[in-house]
Amino acid sequence: MLLSELTRAAPRLALVGLAKNTGKTVTLNALLAELSAAGTPVGVTSVGRDGEQHDVIDFRIDKPRVRLEEGSLVATTDALLSASGTGHELLDRTGIGTPLGEVVIARLLSAGEVEVAGPSAAQDARAMADAMLAHGAEQALIDGAIDRRAASSPHVADGLVACTGAVLSEDVHEVVARTREAIELVRLPTLAADGPLGAAAHALALAGSEHGAAVLSADGAGAALLPARYALTAQAAEIAALLAEHRDAAAIAVSGALPESFVRDVALAARRSRREITLVVADATHVFVHERGVEHYRAQGVRLAVLAPIDLLALTVNPVAPQSHSFDSARLRDLLSEEIAGVPIFDVLHPSYRGAQPPVSRALRSRP
Amino acid sequence: MPEREVDLTRVRPYADHLGDGLVQMSFTLPVPYSLAARRAALELASAMGFEEPEVVHYEQLTPGYTYFVMYVRCAATVDFASLQEEGFDIEYLSEDEIETFAAEHVRRPIVVVGASTGSDTHSVGIDAMLNLKGYHGHHGLEGYRAFETYNLGSQVPNAALLAKAIEVGADAILVSQTVTQQNLHVQNLTELVEMVEAEGRRREVILACGGPRVTNELAKELGYDAGFSKGTYPHHLASFIVRELAARAAVPR
Ligand code: B12
Repeated sequence: MLLSELTRAAPRLALVGLAKNTGKTVTLNALLAELSAAGTPVGVTSVGRDGEQHDVIDFRIDKPRVRLEEGSLVATTDALLSASGTGHELLDRTGIGTPLGEVVIARLLSAGEVEVAGPSAAQDARAMADAMLAHGAEQALIDGAIDRRAASSPHVADGLVACTGAVLSEDVHEVVARTREAIELVRLPTLAADGPLGAAAHALALAGSEHGAAVLSADGAGAALLPARYALTAQAAEIAALLAEHRDAAAIAVSGALPESFVRDVALAARRSRREITLVVADATHVFVHERGVEHYRAQGVRLAVLAPIDLLALTVNPVAPQSHSFDSARLRDLLSEEIAGVPIFDVLHPSYRGAQPPVSRALRSRP
Repeated sequence: MPEREVDLTRVRPYADHLGDGLVQMSFTLPVPYSLAARRAALELASAMGFEEPEVVHYEQLTPGYTYFVMYVRCAATVDFASLQEEGFDIEYLSEDEIETFAAEHVRRPIVVVGASTGSDTHSVGIDAMLNLKGYHGHHGLEGYRAFETYNLGSQVPNAALLAKAIEVGADAILVSQTVTQQNLHVQNLTELVEMVEAEGRRREVILACGGPRVTNELAKELGYDAGFSKGTYPHHLASFIVRELAARAAVPR
C-alpha cells in the first residue's frame, strides 16, 4: 500500500521526526508526488522550515527541496514565496509573524520549488490547515521540525506519520530501541472517558490549566487539586509527602507539561511506598521523557496515560545519517518491525516502495 | 567618487580595488615552525578554495605550533541584492525610542524571564541582555522603565524557567545557549517550546533565543519567534519585543 493511501483518511496530517535528518522532507515529497499523481489537491505548511538548500546546523548537508504542483496551497512567509519565483495567487494574509517574515496563504499558479515556513505555534498550524482545506485542499500536510511533536497533538492533526533514521545512533540496535521508545510514547494507553479515572481526569482537563494538576483515587472520587505549576516545580520530598497523605491516590492528572523530573520523582515515591501511580495527561505531546523510556518508568510503578490518542498511521525510515554512516534499509525495517507492531514501516526511497517517484534524487541522502 | 558602481548581485571582498577578492586570514597549525609548515599553509588555503595564496607572516607560537597570516584571493561572489530584498534587516529603536514606544503602545510593564538553560553554564550572554550593566555601554533591559526583568542565571532546567514565566505572567521568555557541541542544545531548545505548547501558552508568550551560533533560520526551525547572535545589543532585543507586543495587541488572535 502507498503512504498516501494509508494516510488518506486524515484531512490534517502531521509529519514528525524523531530528530533532525530522519527524512521528514523526503517523506513529505513522496506524499506530494503520490497525491499529485492521484490528482488530489493538497495544502502544505511547516512549523519549522522546509525545502531549504542546506541544513541549518551542518551546512555540509544538502537538503531536499519541496516541490509543489500547480494549484497546490501553501502557508509560508511572503519573503520565501517571492524568493521561490513561483507564480502564485495570494489568498490570505495571516498577520502571523515568524523570524523569516509574515505568513501568507497562497495558491500556486505553476509547479515550483517553494521553501515552506508556516506559523510555529501548533494552534496556528491547525488554523492554516483548516484555512487551506476551506480553500479547496483535500488534505493539509503539517510538517514538523527537528524533533518537535506539538503539531501531532490530536487537537491539531487527525493523523501522524513518524520519521526515524540512522541519525539516531551508529548502532542499529540503538536506533531500533530509541524508535521503539518514541513510538511507545506516541501510543500511550488512552483512559476511557466513561471509566472512573477517565471521567475525573476529563473533568480536570475541562477545568483548564489554572488548576494544573490533581490527585485522583481509583474510583475517581476525592480529586484533590494541587498547587499551580505543581508538575513543573514539585520536589521529590513534596511528592512523597503527597502520596503519603493520599493513601488511596491512584493517579495524578496534569493538564500542562509533564517534565521528566516529575515522572522520575513520582517513580521514586511510588517504588518506596510499593504503589502504582498513573500519570494522566491530555495527550502524548505533553510528556517530556528523554532519558528513560515509558517502559522503564512502568517497571518503577509509574504508568503514563492520555485522554486523547494520537492516530499513528505510518513510520518512515531514512537508513542514511548524512555525513556519517548508513544501514541496510531492509535490515533496519525488519529489526524495527520485530520491535514495533501494528505500524506499517516504509523507506520511500527504496526500490521496494512502489510510490510515485518523488522528485528527489537518492544522491541527496549524501552517502558518506 | 567611486571608481565604478558596485554590482550588488555579485559582491566579493575588497582590498585595493573593487572586485579584487582579496582576503586576509590567520590561523594556527599544530606543526613545528618550518618551511614545510609554510608549504602546508599554502596547500591548505588552496584546498579551502582560495586562489593565489600568499603567506605574509608566520611565526612559532609555542614549540610544535605555527601561526600564519595569509593573503588569498576569493573568486566566489554573493548576491547581496536578493538578500537585501528578503527583508531580514530590522531598524532598531534607541533606548529612548523604546521607552516612548512602550508607553504609547504597550502601556504596562513588560515582563521578561531569561536564563541560560539545560547544562549550559555560560551566563554572560543573558546577563548582557538583562542586567543593568548591559553590554558595551548599553543598558540591559533591567535598566529600562518599560521592562520588569527576571534573570534566573545559568543551568536552569526548562521546567523551572517555564514555571517562573507562568508565575510572573511573562510576556517573553528569553533563552541563551552557548554550547553547541553534539547538538544537545537543539533538543534542549525545542523542549522548552514544546513545554510552552503543552501548557497552552505558545500564542501568548514571545519566545526568543540567543547565542553565538543562533540564527533566524535556526530559531524558526526550533520554534522561537526570533533568534539573536553575536553583535546583539539589549536595545535590539527590546525593539523586537515592544514591536511584537504592539503587533499582537493590534491583531487579536
Ligand atoms: C567565558 C567562557 C566560559 C566560562 C563561562 C562563565 C560564565 N559565567 O558565563 C566557563 C569557564 C565556565 C566556560 C565553560 C565552558 N566552556 Co566556555 N567559553 C567562554 C568564552 C571565553 C566567552 C563566552 C562569553 O562570555 N562571551 C561573551 C558573550 C557576551 O557573548 P555571547 O554569549 O555570544 O552573547 C552574545 C550573543 O550571542 C547574544 N546572546 C547570547 N545569549 C542571548 C540570549 C538572548 C535572549 C539574546 C537576545 C541574545 C543573546 O548576545 C550577546 C551579546 O552580543 C568562550 C569563547 C569566546 N571567546 O567566545 C568560550 C566557549 C563559549 N566555551 C566553550 C566550551 C566548549 C566550554 C566548555 C564545554 C569547556 C569544557 N570542555 O569544559 C565549558 C562548558 C560548561 C557548560 N556545561 O556549559 C566553547 C563552545 C564551543 C561550542 N560551539 O560549543 C567556546 C566557544 C570556546 C571554544 N572556542 O571552544 N566557558
